[in-house]
Amino acid sequence: MVETEHDTWNAGEMGCGELVLELRARLQAMPGRILRLIATDAGASEDIPAYCRMTRHELIRAAPPEFWIRARVPD
Amino acid sequence: MAGKFVVNLTHSKNDPDKATVAFVVANAAVASDKDTVVFLSIEGVRLSQPGYADDIHEEGFAPLKDLMTNFAKAGGKIYVCSPCFKRRKLDETQLVEGAVIVGGAKLVEFMGETCPSLSY
Repeated sequence: MVETEHDTWNAGEMGCGELVLELRARLQAMPGRILRLIATDAGASEDIPAYCRMTRHELIRAAPPEFWIRARVPD
Repeated sequence: MAGKFVVNLTHSKNDPDKATVAFVVANAAVASDKDTVVFLSIEGVRLSQPGYADDIHEEGFAPLKDLMTNFAKAGGKIYVCSPCFKRRKLDETQLVEGAVIVGGAKLVEFMGETCPSLSY
């Protein structure tokens, strides 16, 4: 069961560096909270999990094109 | 021997020589037990479509189709640049063996802190 998201961002067809750069800004603005991301880019299903692993944001659930991410709390 | 290796390929039929040599080198890497990725970008993404490489056969080399098939069978991975793929309106439901559409984050994660790479 997915916890209730605090915000939703529909990124549409945005992908690659453009997507993760905007995602970075949004997650940094909501530490500890959950973002529901909708990203229809064909690469998102590989990219979003990879991005979360690298940046230590918690990917709670991936059901492309939807992703639930808990934003990392800064150390 | 362990480690990673990335071959970035930006060409296909616009430069079949480069496309072929890229996979020859990639096969050498995967044969050397390297965790190997061929990153298809720019015109290279066309090689992700089944049949596209069928008529590429440079003198002195194996046919590109065979090089790509052998690469995938040996465990090599093919990352296909998502925005490059999208702008060429290719078919994401039809990809050659071993290919997956990715964005930059997936490639960045794979390469990590240290990863040799070549670009063709």
